[in-house]
Amino acid sequence: MKNRLRVLRAELDSSQAELAERLGVFAPDVNAIETGKYDPSLPLGFTIARTFNRHIEEIDGHRPVPEHRLG
Amino acid sequence: MSEKQPNPDPAEAPIEPLYTHPASPFLRTESTAPKHVDMPVLPSVTSTWVTYRTQIEFGLAMLAYLMILVGSVTVLQSNPNAPWRYVVAVLPVVPAALVLSIFVRALTHLNEMQKRIQVQAFGFSLGATALLTFGYGFLEGVGLPHLSWTFVLPLMAILWGVGTAIFTLRYR
Repeated sequence: MKNRLRVLRAELDSSQAELAERLGVFAPDVNAIETGKYDPSLPLGFTIARTFNRHIEEIDGHRPVPEHRLG
Repeated sequence: MSEKQPNPDPAEAPIEPLYTHPASPFLRTESTAPKHVDMPVLPSVTSTWVTYRTQIEFGLAMLAYLMILVGSVTVLQSNPNAPWRYVVAVLPVVPAALVLSIFVRALTHLNEMQKRIQVQAFGFSLGATALLTFGYGFLEGVGLPHLSWTFVLPLMAILWGVGTAIFTLRYR
């Protein structure tokens, strides 16, 4: 599944390892999610959304991001 | 009619009972205790048992398996015709079952990504073992030597390890 995780992570200037630690997974897992090789479960998806303080639709690359959320 | 004069004599002054006693709770006192004490920052130590519990248990169970296996084989060699030989021969399965239960419990502690890798590795191991044993069965029919059934479990374990490596690399 295509997603914006890598873009969002770059905005925070965070490494895969740092994000992985916050999500409670391993760095290769973050890489697999970013490259679309692995689709995270719903709980992990919501954890990612909470970590970035965004809606889950904004993590997933399919829905257009609302203008007021792009800020 | 005389004007009342304030009495200059302190002995005649009214006594304020609250402040007369040295142990009065209304007396302000300073505590001699230090206002702030720096507590030592203790290093967080994760116990080896917590980190490597599965590995330790797995190693001990494998050790038990090897000991019982060697003991069982030794006893059977010196008592090849004893009526209880079947029970002794099957004894090594008990620690092997212990290994299995430790393994299954460890599976529940994996994260979702590792679980997916394990499912794929098991599928690979199951299918490859089935194909190899099935194929070798046909080869035995045309004259290759008969192999013991005990080769199936090690073969499955090796293929499981190979599968774990393959599917871990695939997600890199």
